[in-house]
Amino acid sequence: MVNTLKIALAQISCKRADKVSNIEKMKAYAEKANKEGAKLVIFPELSLTDYLVRDLIYELAEPIPGPSVEKMTEIAKENQVYIVFGMPEVSQKAESVIYNTAVLVGPEGYIGKYRKMHLPTHSVFEEKRYFKQGYKTPVFETKIGRIGLMICYDVFFPEVSRALRLNGAQLIVCISASPAVRRKFFEILTAARAIENNVFLAYVNLVGIEEGLQFWGGSRIIGPNGSIIVKAKYHEEDFTVGEIDFKDIKHIAAFVPTIRDLRPELYEELKEASEKI
Amino acid sequence: MTQNDQKVKNLKLTPQVLELNWGNVAERIKNFIRDYVEKADAEGIVLGISGGVDSSTVAAISALAIGGKRVLGLIMPEEETYNPKDVEDAKRVAEKFGIKTEIIDLSNILKAFYNAIPNFNEQDRVSKGNIKARTRMICIYYYANAQNRIVIGSSDKSETMMGYFTKWGDVAADISPLMDLYKTQVRKLALHIGVPKEIALKPSTPALWPNQTAEKELGMKYEILDLILYGLERFMSPQEIANQLNLPVKTVEEIKARWIANEHKRRMPLTVKIQYRTPGADFRLPRT
Repeated sequence: MVNTLKIALAQISCKRADKVSNIEKMKAYAEKANKEGAKLVIFPELSLTDYLVRDLIYELAEPIPGPSVEKMTEIAKENQVYIVFGMPEVSQKAESVIYNTAVLVGPEGYIGKYRKMHLPTHSVFEEKRYFKQGYKTPVFETKIGRIGLMICYDVFFPEVSRALRLNGAQLIVCISASPAVRRKFFEILTAARAIENNVFLAYVNLVGIEEGLQFWGGSRIIGPNGSIIVKAKYHEEDFTVGEIDFKDIKHIAAFVPTIRDLRPELYEELKEASEKI
Repeated sequence: MTQNDQKVKNLKLTPQVLELNWGNVAERIKNFIRDYVEKADAEGIVLGISGGVDSSTVAAISALAIGGKRVLGLIMPEEETYNPKDVEDAKRVAEKFGIKTEIIDLSNILKAFYNAIPNFNEQDRVSKGNIKARTRMICIYYYANAQNRIVIGSSDKSETMMGYFTKWGDVAADISPLMDLYKTQVRKLALHIGVPKEIALKPSTPALWPNQTAEKELGMKYEILDLILYGLERFMSPQEIANQLNLPVKTVEEIKARWIANEHKRRMPLTVKIQYRTPGADFRLPRT
């Protein structure tokens, strides 16, 4: 277990419904990450297929593990990096059940996945039309640290990052496809999730324009005190590497010990109240 | 907290709520146009330019996005509504932004339509006027097809939400970059990107018949209409809007009724749900 970790934020635009091109692109960035000494490279939400594929999702979704995960695993092995990317996952038990999933692969192979819990279906978003929500917040113990995954709109709900942290995450990776009108929310909430959980958070957003939506980029690594360690450009493809030191968690958490000060008894009340809205 | 946050929180219908960061808006519209033209692998853009604020703004911003040389502005006067000042204004904007222009006199085409249609009613100025808007569309699309150009529409949000346009006429386009900006906002954007002030602020007309002005037909100034539309967009009740703007509630209710009634002009034609996936309903493919 190492203390420091170099993370590459691969803020890419993706080709609509073109897995071959998108894997090629992710491969190129994984090579770049390796060359720059990064041990983890992160791609945006649904980076395998692109975000807005609408009905094509039924043809594009794959099981996990599956052919694309295998290819991404090969890329991880070849480049000795861990990779987080996003893809539509079809259930192995029910053919029309699809999840919006973040996948973690590494030099040792396929490691695990997270299924998006909060599916935006309002304004321009229609995720519940296509996806089923996930239920679990697994944390993956790896050679580069304990990593939890979440996706985009999940950041509006403190429960996800809290659960990941309580399950042991030192680094929360949030992959995203957020359009420009929502930028300020994400800039605030990503920092809030890091601060309130004494945890590192790496946020990677999509760029490009799809059906009038302009994805704003602005990917970043945030420290447990809310400071931005590294930030990618707005609105254009970018690749940025930042280094984190897990030792920082200890002294920051001692200064604002949010995890120590949790009040689990409030959760019962929260549950009851939220069921009665 | 920015000014923008304040206004959302308070929902006070003052002109300030329509203020946006115009530099940012211009940048996003330029990116949108550039991206669309690139992805379509088009040679450039074609649009009708009337000398009014909407078409001048979209022409100017198209030129800023992809270069004026790749933008073709069609000036399409016709006898009945001919106004040399409009033609002059259209040319002025084109010149300022380095846009190529062509003039097409529609008079003879229109006369041919009028003569060819049995029982053509000269007095029915709406039906007749709509022929003009649709004829302009035909000419624009001719150039789009012949020269591999994208048609950029000039519709703004005020006209779109009021249904104040000709179905399949002036609204017909491949993309409409101003459609999420109310008229008074388009004027602000126009000034920001350097459209001459006189053009940015001049009264709008669809030029369907002589001396037609949009505000006269809509029954109020755009400054008021835009605030009503802004309130409706944010789910405010007509009563609330009327109270804030000191208007009779009936006026706001009439605008709201029109706002809803014109949805048919903003959507794909309805069809009957018969099969598995239906165009315009649940056939949902990505637009590339």
